[in-house]
Amino acid sequence: MADEDEDLSHLRAPEAADIDLDEETQDFRFLDKLAHHDTSSLSLPKRGEKDFESHSTNLQLETLEASRQAMHRVLSIPRTHTQKNHILGMYHPETNMAYVEKVKTQHFLTIGRAKGGKEWLLPEEALFLIERGSMDCRWPVDLEDGEGAEVGAPMSLQGAYAAFIGFEGGVGGKLTLEMYTVYAGLKRSGYVVFRHGSWDDDRAPIQPLAQKEEEKPKTGYLSHFFAELWRRISTPSHIIPSQNLAFGPLIKPGLFRTYADIYRLLQIIPTHDRTSPPQFLLPSSSDNPFRLHFDVWKTAGSQRFRKAKRPSPDFRICVINARETSIPTGAQLNDLMATVPDDPPKGTGQIYQKLKHGRRNVILAVVDNGIPSYIRVADCPFSEEKVALCRKTTRGESLRSPIEKADDEGMLADALGFTFKLKKESKNETTGRSASGG
Amino acid sequence: MAPDPTPVTEPFPISHIAGRYLLFDINAISHARRHHNICGVLIGTLPNLSQQNVFLGIPLELMPEEARVLVERGHAYIVDDVRAHRKGCLEMSRDERLKYLREMDRQGLEFAKGVREKAEERAERALREKGLVGRRGKEESEAPQESADAEGVSTSNSLLDSTPSTSPSVAVPEKKLEPHFITPTTSYPPLSPPSTDAALPLPSVPKSYPLFRYLNSRGYFAMPGLRFGCNYSVYPGDPLRFHSHFLATGLDWDEEFELLDIVGGGRLGTGVKKAYLIGGEDPEATPAEEEEQDGASAKPVRAFSIEWAGF
Repeated sequence: MADEDEDLSHLRAPEAADIDLDEETQDFRFLDKLAHHDTSSLSLPKRGEKDFESHSTNLQLETLEASRQAMHRVLSIPRTHTQKNHILGMYHPETNMAYVEKVKTQHFLTIGRAKGGKEWLLPEEALFLIERGSMDCRWPVDLEDGEGAEVGAPMSLQGAYAAFIGFEGGVGGKLTLEMYTVYAGLKRSGYVVFRHGSWDDDRAPIQPLAQKEEEKPKTGYLSHFFAELWRRISTPSHIIPSQNLAFGPLIKPGLFRTYADIYRLLQIIPTHDRTSPPQFLLPSSSDNPFRLHFDVWKTAGSQRFRKAKRPSPDFRICVINARETSIPTGAQLNDLMATVPDDPPKGTGQIYQKLKHGRRNVILAVVDNGIPSYIRVADCPFSEEKVALCRKTTRGESLRSPIEKADDEGMLADALGFTFKLKKESKNETTGRSASGG
Repeated sequence: MAPDPTPVTEPFPISHIAGRYLLFDINAISHARRHHNICGVLIGTLPNLSQQNVFLGIPLELMPEEARVLVERGHAYIVDDVRAHRKGCLEMSRDERLKYLREMDRQGLEFAKGVREKAEERAERALREKGLVGRRGKEESEAPQESADAEGVSTSNSLLDSTPSTSPSVAVPEKKLEPHFITPTTSYPPLSPPSTDAALPLPSVPKSYPLFRYLNSRGYFAMPGLRFGCNYSVYPGDPLRFHSHFLATGLDWDEEFELLDIVGGGRLGTGVKKAYLIGGEDPEATPAEEEEQDGASAKPVRAFSIEWAGF
């Protein structure tokens, strides 16, 4: 059954929603039309038609040439600043940061921090502002051989990369080009991005378990007493030792009040205990790649983001270089998961939704030579969702167990119960409303 | 094919910054694409189009393999850009700086002039479309504020004014033009292009390099392939024009690998209308003749493509 479905899937024409503009190199000719008018209200072009293979016709060669020239023109657009919109930044070599004296645009609502009357920009923030043509950054002036009021030489884009990425190691910073690629990509999509609080440490502190809401006994003391008594009688007081499993039934004849008790006896494979506080398995190390790097917020429409008083982030991102890092071990994943807050699925949603949400989750941004892929990793509480019991309650939904379904949708479950899911950046959701500023 | 807009003298410099290989010069980027099948990945934000991720701009990040192919064949050399900037920009002398600033001022003024001319052209065209005389409109578009503030005459009045004014087209006083500030893309000038003597050694590359070099020498283009679970997604021509044909994974000659990789790669590849391709270099074979020009170490590479037959 399943196999047939899969084989058919590639014969279908791709649906509109399946087409991801990011996946392919786009035809720059579409941009070319836009590039001539420097209006701020640009809309993105539609996906272009491509050929399967070269047939050396003049038409094809000319189209390709036009695309290349369009690309050349678009990439040649200079970064200029009018006197009016000029934001002057100054590079500070000791900290590898930049500062701005006068804050003019909305960018600074989600970028930088005020200190000593100046707005200080972290390397990635400064580089992003320079790259998008919003800031004119200057090299510092050696005050010894000139008067104080002199302007510095403008920093080129090349110089900015050399400084903010290249000099970073020299001042003990940790920003890599991969992290910057992720930062800039998210900023372009309209997300608010800040460094995670533990940036300077080897890893973030352990986040405790979420407080469980107290269940109040609704019934009176007397009935509660009897219920408790029943529970004690009916719950098995011991776990069957493994050598006994080969003999005798798992469920001995006796008094069983609910199915739950029987199912509990059937559960002989131990699972990860999520009720005990998490612990690190590995010693702290400065070269552990799996640590939190960025906190990310969606730009909420009406709510104004205040960078001084940031709410709890919507996503936590760990940036991975695909060429230097392999798939995380269970211990690495455990340690990373311990540093993200416990976020149990809310309420009485569908079981699959709850499993997908997981107890703790983190987003891995895997960068392969400049191309990021976002993967959401969730600690999946399979043992906490009683499949057999909910079969009764939600009928149509639970004909197949959640594990089967999870498999169908490309989730992998391992012994610890983590799920991996490729995450599509939901850019449409935020791009339109993002703070454009300049 | 039309000639290059600006010819690039080989070898051209590749910036080495924090372990990555970047190109900042638009001419070098176009040149590598046209003549060496190297397309790299654009990772920068386009100014004016900075709210999207579909079209990206300078810099271009090269895979270490791409940088190595360019260097091995003598088309490019690698420059320690961090050191060059530390030396050239942080320790720039005052004279150099002033000279550079004057040059930037001149460019900025030129750019401002260009912007104004374009605006005038647009205004004139718009007015002509509306049936108004271009010249008069020009005057209005240039100095709306002055006329409104100084004389208290609304701009529409000055349009209807029929007395011939004294040559309004020369009314662009040069000193009123404020130079725009420019953020240059490359650092040459103020830095002089580095000499080839100070070039860094060859980039270190993964074991899939022989396959990459082989495909590149056959005119294929390659992009990073993590999205498809492979080393490279391989295009038969410029990715601007063509879809990719192969999902390539480079292996060692005697390397053992899971049979499931073939199944997985083959199925995934077929599902996205591509073929899974594995290949490796035979370390014991003698270099093939056609490969020899690429460098002494080039041994023959064999590649296999795997596709779901779909009977």
